[in-house]
Amino acid sequence: MAAARRHRLVAASQPGFLPLKADLDGSGQTTGRRKRVNKNKKKNWNKYSDIQDVEEFLDDVRLQERAAGGLIADKPDDSLFFVDTGNQKSVPEPGGVGKKGRNSKPLRIDLILQPDSRIAPPKDVLAHQRPNAKKERRIAQKAEKLAAMGVLPRRQKLLRRPPAAPSVKEKPVTSKDPERNFYDLWSAGGPETADLYYLEQTKKKLVKRPEKLNEKPSVLPAVEVIAPGGSYNPDFFSHQALLLEAHEVEVQKLKAEERLQRKLAINKADVATEMSTFKEQIEGLVEEEEEPNPEAEQVADAVDESVGSAAQREKKTEKQRKKEKAERMKELQKKAERKMIDSRQQLFKLRSISADVKEMAQRTRRRRVQRKARQEAQKSLPRRLGKLKFQAPDLDIQLSDEIPGSLRTLKPEGSILKDRFKSLQKRNLIEPRERAKFKRKHKLKYVEKRAFREIK
Amino acid sequence: MGGLQKKKYESGSATNYISRNKARKKLSLSLADFRRLCILKGIYPHEPKHKKKVNKGSTAQKTFYLLKDIRFLLHEPIVGKFREYKIFVRKLRKAYGKGEWGGVEKLRENKPAYKLDHIVKERYPTFVDALRDVDDALSMCFLFSTFARTGKCHVETIQLCRRLSVEWMNYIVASRSLRKIFLSIKGIYYQAEVLGQTITWLVPYQFAHDHPTDVDYRVMATFTEFYTTLLGFVNFRLYQTLNLVYPPKLDGKGETELRAEFEEDYAMDSESYLEKLSALSASLARVISSAEDEEAELDHFPVEGDDMEKMEAREKAQQEQDRQKKLFEGLKFFLNREVPRESLAFVLRCFGAQVSWDKSLCIGSTYDVTDETVTHHIVDRPSLDKQYMNRYYIQPQWVYDSVNAKMLLPVEDYFLGVTLPPHLSPFVEEKDGDYVPPERLKLLALQRGERPEQDEEEDEEEDEEEEEDDDDDNDDGEEEEEEAEEEVKLKNMEEKRTQGKAVSAKVTPGKAKQENRQRLEQEEKAEEKRLAIMMMKKKDKYLYDKIMFGKKRKVREANKMAAKRKALDEASKSDRKKKLKK
Repeated sequence: MAAARRHRLVAASQPGFLPLKADLDGSGQTTGRRKRVNKNKKKNWNKYSDIQDVEEFLDDVRLQERAAGGLIADKPDDSLFFVDTGNQKSVPEPGGVGKKGRNSKPLRIDLILQPDSRIAPPKDVLAHQRPNAKKERRIAQKAEKLAAMGVLPRRQKLLRRPPAAPSVKEKPVTSKDPERNFYDLWSAGGPETADLYYLEQTKKKLVKRPEKLNEKPSVLPAVEVIAPGGSYNPDFFSHQALLLEAHEVEVQKLKAEERLQRKLAINKADVATEMSTFKEQIEGLVEEEEEPNPEAEQVADAVDESVGSAAQREKKTEKQRKKEKAERMKELQKKAERKMIDSRQQLFKLRSISADVKEMAQRTRRRRVQRKARQEAQKSLPRRLGKLKFQAPDLDIQLSDEIPGSLRTLKPEGSILKDRFKSLQKRNLIEPRERAKFKRKHKLKYVEKRAFREIK
Repeated sequence: MGGLQKKKYESGSATNYISRNKARKKLSLSLADFRRLCILKGIYPHEPKHKKKVNKGSTAQKTFYLLKDIRFLLHEPIVGKFREYKIFVRKLRKAYGKGEWGGVEKLRENKPAYKLDHIVKERYPTFVDALRDVDDALSMCFLFSTFARTGKCHVETIQLCRRLSVEWMNYIVASRSLRKIFLSIKGIYYQAEVLGQTITWLVPYQFAHDHPTDVDYRVMATFTEFYTTLLGFVNFRLYQTLNLVYPPKLDGKGETELRAEFEEDYAMDSESYLEKLSALSASLARVISSAEDEEAELDHFPVEGDDMEKMEAREKAQQEQDRQKKLFEGLKFFLNREVPRESLAFVLRCFGAQVSWDKSLCIGSTYDVTDETVTHHIVDRPSLDKQYMNRYYIQPQWVYDSVNAKMLLPVEDYFLGVTLPPHLSPFVEEKDGDYVPPERLKLLALQRGERPEQDEEEDEEEDEEEEEDDDDDNDDGEEEEEEAEEEVKLKNMEEKRTQGKAVSAKVTPGKAKQENRQRLEQEEKAEEKRLAIMMMKKKDKYLYDKIMFGKKRKVREANKMAAKRKALDEASKSDRKKKLKK
């Protein structure tokens, strides 16, 4: 190979070499001034030596080899030229005309993909190697030994391996999947078993749950059993008791409604009469002769006087001051004495005082008990958690004539879904809400269709 | 006095609470997502004590959360999933809008999903915690499993709920832990005792749904999502405690028995197994097939005094429970097609009966109507054409009442076409002095082992009732009588003493006084009691009087009720007689 290559290169360097591309005949060379550079550095050898012509030449050689199977210069003239003897009628292609022919013609895309190089592919190197008997023997011996030990060669092992399941991308497990499987959650080794530091650093440690969350928000049981009157075949009295309860609820509702109506009723005195409207209309038009109120004036005068007197108050004399002081002292002394006597007297009132104290203590105790009881009662009551108050659901009840004789004819009352929902609200797990109303962004526009209008 | 001036609303309760909207913004979630997250994590709104302070002076009603709770929520990995889901929806909508169907498919494949396992573990650190809270989960699962698959909620949710509720019923059957049943107008209440916890749940009747409009389905679906996860893990653990295989499998014997010819007609292959499980007519496979009913007996420890009594009481209770567990053992039931099959099959199997039904009614029937060994045939229609001699035809209420009474009630009251006695609630516990309906009294007497004579004549029955009433009267009247007697005695004594001087001393031969020992003892006790009352402090005496007054009032009310009942009975009886005469 190398020899052939050298030969080709030598041939190309001969003066008779024909380049395939037009621009490779030396005329395209630039004749500008060469830049002078030191040639004592390897870097410059590469950088400033112009090897383009060499590259182009080599490219051309390769192209010729690919396209023509060798250098054109080497080819005999017969293979390159032919004598033109005029227009020859084109020979129809064998294989029929029309559809069939078109079918048998290879596709253009296949043609493009076909190798068009004239250079033969390199031969298999290993094909020339002679088998090494010694080596093969050794390999066979080893294989036998392994087989005796029970170790299979790799290829057989691969064959024996069960065919891998078609790799379907595993869907992530959702909490809603009806086929999902469960495991022992409470004894499975949780992440706590791993190293704490590792968990912290990899952010796998769960944050501690606040202690307060473990308290239930209400003391009510999750499932409240209906009163015995709610049996499908109830005892007479328990049924009556339940009816009474429901009746009382209804009465309360009616009362509330009545109260509202009463409040909203129009006061008859406020209704406009002819007289009152007339009065309103002539308001300010007719001059009313009203006597000025003498009392009011007097009051105003008194106010004036008092203000004036304060401004004109004179200074107190020394004597007055002393007198006042003495009076004050006396007053204080008197008070102190009074206090002394009182406290001394209290000694005799000891019994009544102790009774008072006892009563007071009792009252506080009673109040404390009451407060505690109220707090206890509140625990089972629904809290106010949002805009709306909790509305107790209607009691589920069947009237006396609705009670079925048997289980078959029973018509269930109320909805369990609603019961559950209300129970959640009652236990303060969710806040009572109203359903969000649908708000229309733009007004609806009504247009009569033409067809309809024409008929009309 | 130095220091900075304190500002309002910068400490105390104002900083301990956070309003819902602020919390939502802090988590950067939409309101729906926030609500869902709160439900899943078990974080509920709070009502602050001083609302005005918390609300910074405003009195507007708002929903508040504890700030610490919301901070805790920030660390939840599911929040990230919610955000991912939001993005997924946005991308999907975009792909749809552009009509990129390949893109839509790809997105669908990579739909973000989350699990709630870690939340269950976090909210219920131990198994018992979870078991205590399983009431809600059960009611919700049973409710959702009866929904029609019409798009009110996801079909997968309904399927999962059904599967879990069937598993639960199978566990209850296998462990025989059902205790009480109450058929109400709303639904059926069941109570079971599982590993020492009393669990109550409510099951709707079949086909009893109108969908109320004022219920937020999204909220309910979120609760259900959490509860299904919880119930699944609880079921697994419960199955483990009984050495049952999970997911449940019918044991080999049952499986072969249940292989019917019509199987293909009844359900699809994918569903038929669940259906067979839900039929409840076969027992489940165990991990280790043990000898049946290997019962652990209570260990005996020698103890003294009070503990001994307690132990004995406990032992007695245990024995009674064991007896109750085998209530229907050996009986063979056949359900007619108009009775609620699932409920009855569940209850009967819970107490060891054999159950079957018509082949066309449901999968899993084990024997036919024509089977000679059937002992009870449950019917809920006024009459039946073809009747077999060797079996009782009874109405379904008998089963429930028997379970509640913990004994097999006489079947006569429950025969075909007979007006049923009222179905009493087993959840009511009467204290002494309360009004007790006569039906209940009769039942209690039966439980004590007294068998009232079943004479056809009504008068005698009446007499009995009257006697019972009299007994009631006697109870409260006795004390007064005793007091009166003693007073009479004392008077006599005094009279004698005063007259003692006048009466000449006279010796009469002594009579051997017949002392009624019991009577004496009673008297002694009464005397002691009276003395104790006399020695009471004023405060205690006041309280005592109050209690006694309350008791007497209760008795009076009960008497009144009983009298009313009697009047009612008489009235109805006379009506009936009149009708008969006509």
